[in-house]
Amino acid sequence: MWRLSLSAGYRGFGCRIVGPKGLWGSRVVHTCSAPAIPAGRITALQAVDLWKNHFTERGVMEPDHSSLYIMAYLLGAKTIESLEQEKLSEFLSPEKTEQMWKLCSRRLSRMPVQYVIEEWDFRDLTLKMRPPVFIPRPETEELVELMLNDLEMKPGTGIGADSQHTCLEVGCGSGAISLSLLKSLPQVRFVIVTNRFLATIFFCRLGLQDRLQIHCLDVMKDAETVLSLCRHVSTLVSNPPYLFSEDMTTLEPEIFLFEDHAALDGGKDGLKVIKQILTLAPQILSNHGRVYLEVDPRHPPLIQRWVEVNVEEMRYVETRHDITGRSVLKSLSVFMSSTMASFNQFVII
Amino acid sequence: MAFRRALDLLPKGRLWVSHFQKSPNVIGPNVTLLDWTTRTTRTTRTTRTTRALHIAAGPLAGARLLSVDELFAKRSLQEHLEKLETEYSERLRAASSEDDEPRAKRANVALLAPLVHSIRELDSKQREKAETEALLRDEDPALRELAELEYEGCLRDIQDLRQKILDLLLPEEEDDLSDLVLEVTAGVGGQEAMLFTDEVFDMYQGYARHHGWSFDILEHVASDIGQRIQSYKRMKFEAGVHRVQRVPRTEKQGRMHTSTMTVAVLPQPTEISLTINSKDLRIETKRASGAGGQHVNTTDSAVRIVHLPTGVVAECQQERSQIKNKEKAMKALRAKLYSRKLEEVTSRRYNQRKVQIGTKGRSEKIRTYNLSQDRITDHRIGLTLHDTRSFLLGEELLDQMNSSLQEFSDQEALEELLGETQRDGT
Repeated sequence: MWRLSLSAGYRGFGCRIVGPKGLWGSRVVHTCSAPAIPAGRITALQAVDLWKNHFTERGVMEPDHSSLYIMAYLLGAKTIESLEQEKLSEFLSPEKTEQMWKLCSRRLSRMPVQYVIEEWDFRDLTLKMRPPVFIPRPETEELVELMLNDLEMKPGTGIGADSQHTCLEVGCGSGAISLSLLKSLPQVRFVIVTNRFLATIFFCRLGLQDRLQIHCLDVMKDAETVLSLCRHVSTLVSNPPYLFSEDMTTLEPEIFLFEDHAALDGGKDGLKVIKQILTLAPQILSNHGRVYLEVDPRHPPLIQRWVEVNVEEMRYVETRHDITGRSVLKSLSVFMSSTMASFNQFVII
Repeated sequence: MAFRRALDLLPKGRLWVSHFQKSPNVIGPNVTLLDWTTRTTRTTRTTRTTRALHIAAGPLAGARLLSVDELFAKRSLQEHLEKLETEYSERLRAASSEDDEPRAKRANVALLAPLVHSIRELDSKQREKAETEALLRDEDPALRELAELEYEGCLRDIQDLRQKILDLLLPEEEDDLSDLVLEVTAGVGGQEAMLFTDEVFDMYQGYARHHGWSFDILEHVASDIGQRIQSYKRMKFEAGVHRVQRVPRTEKQGRMHTSTMTVAVLPQPTEISLTINSKDLRIETKRASGAGGQHVNTTDSAVRIVHLPTGVVAECQQERSQIKNKEKAMKALRAKLYSRKLEEVTSRRYNQRKVQIGTKGRSEKIRTYNLSQDRITDHRIGLTLHDTRSFLLGEELLDQMNSSLQEFSDQEALEELLGETQRDGT
């Protein structure tokens, strides 16, 4: 598994990023010398401006957002809008100035803002962000919203319900999906299957033992074990790697250099992991179980066709779109009334 | 560049008592301070009207707050109360008769019952008072003493009952119970206007804290939204153009600058009073223009929502989470759409009120903050307070001004109500 080690990076204010296998060509910033810290004191706004200009010169994406978010974080807020005007016009202390320079220099190397400040918000949670753990996308917030709406309507999962429902997540990333659902649905128990060992340690430390189980398994290689451990699950959710392999080369440095490629690359057609999940789903899910997946906009018709041919117990239900109207999120529910009078239904979103 | 911010405020308590303490800071033309307890939420009342609160220009010249006694001395009030008693008796008869729709009739009776009950209680207290009065001149000193105590008790009860009646007379306003949205916009004056807008915004935050309301800043700079439960009742008087006169720090020649800012107060509608069809909305995010999902990592989570049929727009970039920005933008949109709806409704009704309360777009200046002379004047009631620094904290002084406005507004409402009675009678 390919991993990028970034420990060499940030001594002083000059740094060199050299990637493995020299694949990156001219897109990558090879040197990133930062502007010198000014001799006199500067205000927050001045620092923001200075760095915004510097980011722009160096071709760093979203230069204004980057410097604003970093400054807000340093001043103890989430966004610049929540700070009072006066605070922004005050002089920064030497320590804060140094910190600003340190953090912005990291951004200069195209490190995503979320990794620079080591946190980001997902719905109403603030999660720890460390490379190369996949940074949650806004689309995934919509996925969780969708699930909450569905699950709250379903008897037995809402607040005050008697029976417990088990959710399985394949691949957990920063815990965005699982932690959001655990927070909003007190009756739900979670099982997480992840191939990242460090994730298991992270989740173990959260003290949710009575509601959360983690298994360090690879859904591609350890299918048998997964099946033996995960049964009678009412909901299966995943944000699996769904990029087409050819897409990988066109990714921005923020993603390519810093995020885990294994969380992104879904194979030639982006369906490698998705197909595996769908293959295993009928045995994992209980009756009327559902699968929710976040997929690429090109996937829904492909998945529908594939499921109809390959997975008898499943039935396509619907595709749901994210708020911009594109079907990054898609729901499929497929079921078949079988002669065995037990039928699995699931939805892929 | 328009510079706006907004407040979203949620009060914790539901009972508002406006007491007015005379303080050396208060100067106004013949202002007799009327101690009305403001209305608690009267959920039994169903006669809701939306008071049209817009109006005409000019300060309340020569008008003043009347005391409870003065109000009760008015013939029009007495007639109105008599009329209500008659109506009550009629409804009572109608309800007990073998008629269709008995439930509706009983409901009608129930509405008037508390008021009529209080009126009758007042009558009996008046009689008691008259009887006790006679005893005040009795020869027996012990009896006189007792009579004095009784008499004082009667006077107090009468006062309380009168206030209660006045309270019950005025119908509750639907929007007084709603959440609200506060929007401040810098007007004329460039940098100064923006600074002033900021100060006023901070003042309202202070006001919210002073009342124990919680608030949430929904937006900043672009569109704005704020929301607050049941504080619309107070904050509606803040809507309009505020003017500040001061010598700016940067001014070398010591010239006085005037700048303005506008406050808009929008009640937040409930789900029932305003429904928005999601098909009518176009939701814009940064991602909409290109690839999304795993392909992209962005920190631009701003959301902009356009209501297609009306063209009303709301945006939010207050949060790092996109879905939270979307929720806030939706709240803002609802408030704006509702305010438009309200405008339509209220502007249709002709109204003589001087304490004007508009939702948006009023060009009349309602208040001037003269910082060099350290005074704040509300032009609608001609009230001037001093100590601008304390005022801008949004605590007692703002409270005083606000309560004054409320009382004048209530009095006008009462006069309007009685005026209508007069018209009916002739």
